[in-house]
This record gives sequence, structure tokens and C-alpha cells, in this order.
Amino acid sequence: MFARVYGCTIAGVEGKMVDVEVFLSSQLPSFDIVGLPDTAVKEARDRVRAALKNSSFRFPPQRVVVNLAPADVKKEGPQLDLALAMGILQADGKLAAPTAPWAFIGELALDGALRPVRGVLAMVLAARDAGYRNIMLPLANAEEASLVTGVHVVPATSLKEAVAVISGEQPPTAVPRRKRQQRKNEQKADFKNVKGQESAKRALEVAAAGGHNVLMIGPPGSGKTMLARCVPSILPPMTEEESLETTKIYSAAGLLVENSGLISERPFRSPHHSLTPAALCGGGRNPRPGEVSLAHNGALFLDELPEFRRETLEVLRQPLEEGFITVTRLQAAYTYPSRFMLLASMNPCPCGMLSDAEKECVCSAGQIYSYRRKISGPLLDRIDLFVEVTRLRYDEVAGTGQGEPSSAIAARVGKARSLQAARFAGHGIKCNAEMLPRHIQQFCKPDAAGRDLLRQAFSRLHLSARAYDRILKVARTIADLDGEEDIRTKHIAEAISYRQTEFF
Amino acid sequence: MRKIGGEGEERAARFLKRLGYEILHRNWRCRRGEIDIIARDGKTLVFTEVKTRRSTSRGTPEEAVDRKKQEKLRLLARYYIHETGMTAPVYRFDVLTVDAKSGEIKLLKSAFS
Repeated sequence: MFARVYGCTIAGVEGKMVDVEVFLSSQLPSFDIVGLPDTAVKEARDRVRAALKNSSFRFPPQRVVVNLAPADVKKEGPQLDLALAMGILQADGKLAAPTAPWAFIGELALDGALRPVRGVLAMVLAARDAGYRNIMLPLANAEEASLVTGVHVVPATSLKEAVAVISGEQPPTAVPRRKRQQRKNEQKADFKNVKGQESAKRALEVAAAGGHNVLMIGPPGSGKTMLARCVPSILPPMTEEESLETTKIYSAAGLLVENSGLISERPFRSPHHSLTPAALCGGGRNPRPGEVSLAHNGALFLDELPEFRRETLEVLRQPLEEGFITVTRLQAAYTYPSRFMLLASMNPCPCGMLSDAEKECVCSAGQIYSYRRKISGPLLDRIDLFVEVTRLRYDEVAGTGQGEPSSAIAARVGKARSLQAARFAGHGIKCNAEMLPRHIQQFCKPDAAGRDLLRQAFSRLHLSARAYDRILKVARTIADLDGEEDIRTKHIAEAISYRQTEFF
Repeated sequence: MRKIGGEGEERAARFLKRLGYEILHRNWRCRRGEIDIIARDGKTLVFTEVKTRRSTSRGTPEEAVDRKKQEKLRLLARYYIHETGMTAPVYRFDVLTVDAKSGEIKLLKSAFS
């Protein structure tokens, strides 16, 4: 007559437990689902009906009412199918309620097969934290689920198998052993192949070491894009915790490749400039994480920054400042983590030759003005390093010399990062770029000469308070790269130099 | 086909009588259609739709009473109440299914309203 089983849904990137209550009454056959289901959940009616019949169970010829609790949370996605089917079988007396509570996750095919769903990692974590020890889910998701410790994950390939395991007729299949994620040695772009551009490389090293935001400005063909593509090769490896966070986001976005383990590489996202605000910040009617969240713990590269729509760029303000983004929709507000390093590039003017030493720029003052104006002051204020990239000279292009390999730079970056990790232990932040005003006060104390230099720069460059803080943060990173505890004048000077640009 | 339905209704009527229902009409007809059995269960007027099936290969008998059929029965019931001049009667709709092979009878009280 009545049964209660447990399923999960996804809100943002977090899993939420859902009580699935099934009631059968002797009335004319009907099947209703109440409790704020979305379209995919309502459609479960037809999938569950067919899956039951095709697994040689009967669909009870009665009035079936399913209530999904808590009733005020929007339930989305097809992963409640399995819980629904299990609930109906229990209510119909075809399956005894298991002694320990189980959480069921999975989408049903019409023939009763179990299909993988997105967001499994987050849902299994939620189930564990809610006290569920036994979780049944599609075999294709088992490997992802096995990343969570402290739960008993039982994979199944079909509804029939799921029922047989629950009723004890069949021993559960073992979770497939996780393959050590094979570091596909896909050749990452390496700085050694970038000729010249030593100052730009230095700036990117500083940025990678402290997690700072960079804007590269230079004529077309000077290598801005290539430089940016090399950045992943010098980023420090992710911590276990960061891996888990990033994997959760990819899982919720449905971008996790089937049967892959944790994401261990820092993400590098480079969306095209036709990007819409919703695609950048996340959203949609059933919200999914956007580019800023997919770049969480990694880098977001916006090539040709002024070509992006202005409203798209303005969306960046909150994530750049806070490290998360809140997307509000009719039914609920979702918060996605989005702490990333912003890499951007642009030409100095529409034709691109303004900063070139030899070639003449053909843009009018008005064109240049409107080109620059596309990037707002508040956004520029959030950039830590401005780097001018110049066109290479002949001897640089034709030279056969190789630059410093990424591995050497990565080693320095790694050292600087471990200094930061030690310094910020217990402060809830990981790198210099994340410092809050109180951290800046505590950790960024320049010497007297440095303070002098800062005072001059402040009035000469018309800095904002935010820009001032950012200079201090960058100086901190440069000192860390030098392995020095104190911020010296030369560190301040270098940090200020990344602020000095004739373009803004 | 009509034979099966007729036999089913015969069994249904006997079944209801055994339950203590007073059968008022069998196959009550008006120009809009027909109600299989109109009975009285205590003070409650019961409009009963009888469905007989030999197999469930085309769906269960209950499923055959779809929304359209339910709407029709409501209309006929109002017609009947009007015709007989009853005021504010207590009534309900039952569906009674008969398995023509095994003779098994199932009664869904208040199957819809």
C-alpha cells in the first residue's frame, strides 16, 4: 500500500536527498507525481511504467500517488527513476523493504536498463553525509561514486538486477577497480617553444604563482594566445580537496567522461567570444554551471577580450571578487564555486598596430576609444597584471634558441605556492590572489622605501583602493618567488610595473 | 462480445446482491447512453460500471474506464438524478471488473468522483 524509499536530486552542484513516498489505492489506475517535480521527473511516469513491465514486473492497476519530499525543493533530472520504480515495487508488495535504508540513483530505459546520470559524485556525497551507507546506482557511474569513501556503492545494470540484489537473490557486483587515471601524455603547450617574450613569460609566472589575473595587450600575431595556452603547463598540481571540488562541478554539468576518476589537472577554459552571460555564469531553466565554474581552481582564458559582449564581461565581477557565483532562478537560487585565474588578451586598437614600433596604426581616435570602452573600469580594476606583448624582431623569430622549459618555471611556481600554503594554513585561503584586506594587512608589509614608492605610484597612476591592494598582493607573490619573507622595494617596483600601462 | 459483457453483468449483479446492495436498475438507458447497474448501498446511490475481460493483453479492465468514460458516467448520473426527481442524493461511482475466465470479481468503490 505504502512505501518510502530514498533518492537524490541536484541543486547547483550540491546533492540533496529526496524522500520518495509511494501510495497505492484501489481506485481507477492513474499515476501522479507531486512535490515540485520538473519535466524530466514527470516524464519518469512513462519510463517507470515501461521499465517495470519490460522487467517482467507488473505496474499496479491502481491509483499510484508519488510524493517527493521535501516538497519545497525543485526536483530535477531523471535520476529519480530507479527510486520511483523501487518504491512502486515495495508498495505493491513485490519487494520487501530492505532492512537498512538505501539510496537509489539512476535513470531507467524503457527496457529496464539503468542509464548513467550526471552529478553522481555530489549526490553520493550528500547521501553519505545524510547517513546512508548503501547506495545503488548505474554501473557506468560506479567508478565516479567510488571516489567517495565510507559508503557501500552497489552498481547495477538493470532494474531487474537491482531488485535481485536488494531482495538478496543475487550477490551485488563489485565496483570496478578504479584505473589510476592515466596521465594522457597529451603534449601540453610548453613555454620552451615560445620564442622571446621574456617579460610576458615572467608576468605569467608571477600570475601562476599567486593566482593573479592577467591582461595581455599586443598586436595580432605577437603570441598572446600561444602564451596563454602554455599557462596550464606551469600551474601547480591540484590538492585532493581542489580535485574533488572541480570534479563535482564537472559531474553536475554532465561533462565528466564516463568512468573517469577525479579530475587531477587544473581546468583551462577558453570560451569563444560569442559567449552569452548565461553560459558564462551558469544558469538555464535547469541551472548548470557556466564557464566561470568550469574554470574553478584553474584558468579562464578570454581571448580578444573587447570582442565579448559587454554584459557578458560584467558578469565576471562577482566571481572575480568573491570566488563564487549565485544564479537566481524562478524556483531557487544556486551558488556555484568559481575561483579561477583570469587570463585575457586584447589588441591595443581595432587594427592592432597602435603599440607597434614600426607599423602604422590606421584607427581613428574615436575607434580606439570605443574599442577600449567595451572593457569597463570595474573589470580592469580586477586585473592584477597588465602585460604588453610586442611583435618579435627578425632575429628572435629566426633564432633557433629555445626558451626556458615549462617544467623549470613550474618548479618555481610550485615553491612559491607551498610558501603560500604554509602561510595561509588556517586562514581559509590558498593563494595570494585570494587575500582579503585583513590578510593584506598582516602579510604584506613593505619596507620604508617600498612604501614611499607606493605613495608616489598611487598619485601618479591614479590608483583605486582596490588596485592598491592588488599591487600589494602581486608584490607578495614576487617576494614569494624570490623565497623572501619580506616585501622589498624591488618587489613593489616590479608589481607597480605590471600596473603601468599607457593603454588604460 | 455482447454475450461476454452480458454474462459479466449478470455475475456482477449477483455479487452486489450478496453484498447487500439493492439493485435499482440494470442497463438503465437514456438517449445519452447507458449505466450498467444502479444500486443502493444503505443510503448511498451507487452507479456501477461493469467491465469484463478475458485477458489483460489489451490492458487491464480498470484502465478501460478512461477520462472520457468517467465524464460520460457523471453526465448520465446527473441525468438519472434529475429524471427521478431526487434532491441532493449521496452517490458514488464504482467500477466492477470481472475476469471472464476465472470469474474473479473486483470492486473498486469510489473509483472516481
